[in-house]
Amino acid sequence: MSSARLPAPAGALIDREQPVEFSFEGRRHAGFAGDTIASALMANGELVLSRSFKYHRPRGVLTGCGQDANSLVQIGDQTNVLADRRAIEAGMVVEAQNVFGGLENDYGAWLGYLARFMPVGFYYKAFYKSYSPWRLWEKLFRRLTGLGVVNPDAVHGYYDKQYLFTDVAVIGGGPAGMAAALQAAKSGCEVILVEENKTLGGALNYARFDADPKPAAKRRADLIAKIERTDNIRVLTDALCNGWFTDNWLPLFQGNRMFKLRAAAVIVATGSYEQPMVFRNNDLPGIMMGSAAQRMIRLYGVRPGKRAVVVAANGDGYGVALDLLDAGVDVACVVDPRPAAKPCERQNAVALRGVPIIHETAIAEALPASGNRGVVGARIARITGEGQLAKTVDRFACDLIAVSVGYHGTANLIHHARGKMSYDDAQAAFVIDELPAHLFAAGSVNGAYSLNAALDDGHRAGWAAAKDAGFDAGRKPASKSKDSGASPNYPWPIFAHPDGKDFVDFDEDLQTADILNAIAEGYDNIELLKRFSTVGMGPSQGRHSSLPSVRIAAKATGKTVNQTGTTTSRPPFSAETFGHLAGRSFEPVRLTAIHNRHLEAGAKLMVAGQWLRPEYYGDPATREANIRAEIMAVRKNVGIIDVSTLGGIEVHGPDAAEFLNRIYTFAYLKQPVGRARYVLMTDQSGVITDDGVACRFHDNHFYVTATTGGAAAVYQTMLFYNAQWRLDVCVINSTASYAGVNIAGPKARDVLARLCDDVALDGEALPYMGVREGHVAGIAARIIRIGFVGELGYEIHVPSSQGEALWDALMAAGEPENIKPFGIEAQRVLRLEKGHIIINQDTDGLTHPHEADMAWALARKKPYFVGMRSIAIQHANGIERKLVGFTLVEPDDPAPKECHLVIRGAEITGRVTSCAHSETLNKVIGLAYVAPDQSEIGNRFEIKIEQGRMIAAEVVALPFYDPDGKRQEL
Amino acid sequence: MSLAPQDKLSRSPIYRQLAELGAEFAEVAGMACAMGFGGGLEAEVEQAKSLAICDLSALPRAGFKGREAQSWPAAQGLVISPDNNMSLVQDDGALVARLADSEVLILSDLACESGLCAAITQAWSPDPDPGVYPVPRGHTNCWFMISGGHADALFAKLCGVDLRPHKFPLGAIAQTSMARLNGIVIRADLGRADVGGTLAYHLLTDSASAGYMWMCLLDAMAEWGGAPVGLTALREMDT
Repeated sequence: MSSARLPAPAGALIDREQPVEFSFEGRRHAGFAGDTIASALMANGELVLSRSFKYHRPRGVLTGCGQDANSLVQIGDQTNVLADRRAIEAGMVVEAQNVFGGLENDYGAWLGYLARFMPVGFYYKAFYKSYSPWRLWEKLFRRLTGLGVVNPDAVHGYYDKQYLFTDVAVIGGGPAGMAAALQAAKSGCEVILVEENKTLGGALNYARFDADPKPAAKRRADLIAKIERTDNIRVLTDALCNGWFTDNWLPLFQGNRMFKLRAAAVIVATGSYEQPMVFRNNDLPGIMMGSAAQRMIRLYGVRPGKRAVVVAANGDGYGVALDLLDAGVDVACVVDPRPAAKPCERQNAVALRGVPIIHETAIAEALPASGNRGVVGARIARITGEGQLAKTVDRFACDLIAVSVGYHGTANLIHHARGKMSYDDAQAAFVIDELPAHLFAAGSVNGAYSLNAALDDGHRAGWAAAKDAGFDAGRKPASKSKDSGASPNYPWPIFAHPDGKDFVDFDEDLQTADILNAIAEGYDNIELLKRFSTVGMGPSQGRHSSLPSVRIAAKATGKTVNQTGTTTSRPPFSAETFGHLAGRSFEPVRLTAIHNRHLEAGAKLMVAGQWLRPEYYGDPATREANIRAEIMAVRKNVGIIDVSTLGGIEVHGPDAAEFLNRIYTFAYLKQPVGRARYVLMTDQSGVITDDGVACRFHDNHFYVTATTGGAAAVYQTMLFYNAQWRLDVCVINSTASYAGVNIAGPKARDVLARLCDDVALDGEALPYMGVREGHVAGIAARIIRIGFVGELGYEIHVPSSQGEALWDALMAAGEPENIKPFGIEAQRVLRLEKGHIIINQDTDGLTHPHEADMAWALARKKPYFVGMRSIAIQHANGIERKLVGFTLVEPDDPAPKECHLVIRGAEITGRVTSCAHSETLNKVIGLAYVAPDQSEIGNRFEIKIEQGRMIAAEVVALPFYDPDGKRQEL
Repeated sequence: MSLAPQDKLSRSPIYRQLAELGAEFAEVAGMACAMGFGGGLEAEVEQAKSLAICDLSALPRAGFKGREAQSWPAAQGLVISPDNNMSLVQDDGALVARLADSEVLILSDLACESGLCAAITQAWSPDPDPGVYPVPRGHTNCWFMISGGHADALFAKLCGVDLRPHKFPLGAIAQTSMARLNGIVIRADLGRADVGGTLAYHLLTDSASAGYMWMCLLDAMAEWGGAPVGLTALREMDT
């Protein structure tokens, strides 16, 4: 057992039967299962855990419970791990952060010698001009700043989320929280009790409420036993509630899981942060909160020092002194800033043990060990006024200074919920004025500091919360506490030193002079003070700097603390990982029924909305050749493409035709049954939003297709408009119901005819844009004669569960013709050769039909369609650009890319929207927007491609291929 | 010998995943359905009582939507709940779910003895206009059943609705987001409640995302040792 390890019963959380070895900064250490990194190191005599952010001063345990930034270390790829919360594991490799050359000999400490050249806000004054050495400064700052090193190749962990529901949530498992949970549970409601530490108990686990520790220990055991026996209380330990959100939605982090808890009523019983005292060198390792010393003793069995000076401005500080004495620590003296008064029971007990108690004094300066790696003594002085000390009275040798001068409520969740708080001078603390509905507070966060007062307050809050959640909570519990209610908070524990190093904010290395200087510079508003000085902006987010800085600011500006105010506390309460926020990263992906056949055929897939579709088939090394082969298969032979992703919407009802007439630009009232017609959708501003075809299968039934990416929006648009029009229609989104294939090419009919007995496929029986219902390979099918790619083609839509079978049948039937599957890239070129636009490629967020040369799709005689009026206005005003087809003047010029600009002199007059080399036509073809006066056929214009090179293009008539449409109308 | 799913025209969207897990298939309503996974009926029944998932995509289902979505099915003899988001079991074991004033969903019984889906689909005609129209639920949605004592905890990892049995009664319907997909959840315990029935839920979601949802559910249920079971086990429990 190491020299700082205490014998049992000290060390409630450690298992002495399970030794654990780990390393810190390359040195091996041993501890026990249940030790934290910090407790194991302290047991081994290692007090220094880290170096401070700016001056690289050595830092050690301050709170001992993860509420400060001194304990941040790195473990493997995990940065910013709290060493006083993380349990040691065998083989764990722990490293310090923010050090250069190691924690022991951090050469960043030279920055401390430059402190006078780095006053508060110095960077605002040094780095605001455009200045060539910026590049050097930037490199230096990138090296110096930041906490921890991120590994961009780190393996993703497995994180999880789960919803939880309860009637009453109690946040905080200390005495007040436990009392609240038990009281609420009496009403029969469901209670979830959330405790961030490994065991329930809160302060009952480590504090000394009485001279005799046994009564409180029994109280703890009784409360925990009652909770364990209560079926309707669910306890979550090692679970951190990291914020409050609207309607009592609470994120809880436990292990790798984030619970999303929704509660009807919430009780905040989160306790308080013990507060530091400000004096010279108050940041040295070995100076800690009194409660930190008690945690080390009681929870981990570690003696935090050999000889201590205890600062006690309340009964709890005397409890610390008693615990230190019981642990064998020599308590040199108790420094009590308060005037002598009637002593409490604990103070009497300390006095009886012969410890000198010196009233109306404070620590003026802690004396550092070599290299500031610890404490060797304390100089104390008599308090002569608020923050004023007489000349040094006495010097005490010590290696531990334990400070208990008061508390600041852990009211973060209350602030998140917009609870109102104000500073009470008598309490020397912020107190709750008003809580929002369905939120309650109990315990020291609510100003109930003593054990009995905390228990009473817990019972009251539990009763109120259960009642609020709609349960019969019975009579309001009577208060049993007779405590005097004296505040444990010393009103001004701030003693600035002329030589500085009197830290107000440990995270940011801010001293009292820094706060005063910022105010003197004019940043006297608390919000400006925060941002200029960075007070409260470090990892501990003002837990220990908020109170002293607002007190200093109030005094310096001649205001009260309430007039000065505080900055806004927002979630998260504590650091949270991206892994927790991401959870299991649900990323839905939609696959067609034919997906696996594409994989088997060697398809290279691409993302299209939420779908995966084949881009092309074959070896990526021969991508261009593969696409050309697919194109030629369609032009010369027969190809097949999976079009299942296209939207499918059923429009039923007596007003179906009228509905389409209003939704789309074309005319549908007289569309015959058995025919398909192009649909073009525009919005209220006349902008093209989608297209497809409407197939009429019955007077009262249309099957309408939409683009892959637009299907959901088209469906929503239809519902939106009919909610207003109230036409007698029913709109059903059947996109996933149907698998679809397009079989296209001069031999398409031959192949399909082998599988289709009940639908005549010849040109007369099924002309271009005809639709039929029948069977293909025994599968009920909708057959649409359509020509997006400009060849004889049929779209076949079948129930999606039979899509794979359809594909198999067509591939088998097409074997004699060497049928070839083709992908999106081939389809893009094929449709370009026919001059067919692709929505959102050849149109943008402003394109209206006249610009896109789609005026032919506007019905002239109908009274209304969505966007009609806007299109008419735009047309009357004249178009500013026009979509045209083009080829290159010089055939050997490189093909422009999409979004290459059309330039005329100094003016941009348009851009390329689609462009490709056409194997069929043996030339580059494309679509581009040009100025209206450039749009005449034969007109030449210039396109700017890479490297600023200009190439010449010529407007040609569309379509490029088969202008008479003979091939698709075979 | 197990039927090969590719021998049938209709195929479950996850038949490959089922085959990889060792599913034994038999024909149900024209599709190869996973009847078991080779572990034996007793073991699968025990699994289903703890936490299990079963692919019911083969079973018949139908939907109807429109202004007469309550009156027309009722005229065909369906018994429909007066409340939206509630379902009722019919005399023949089929389940009729009232999704909205304007929509009903009909699910076959597990034994496929109910002919209700086929009958009502045949009874529908567009002429004269009935004011209600078929929704192709058989293909729009995949259909899973999740059963067992841990089923509600499983859903809590995927869905923000409180589906715990004391909050979500038998027959209740939630139309909600499940692992970022739209889903219909219907509580439909197996067996009789008075003799210790097993907590169970139907889940219908986008058929094109079936593979994704299947993986989400398997991953989520691993925590409690959840596993797929075949239809035979559920039929055994539903008697």
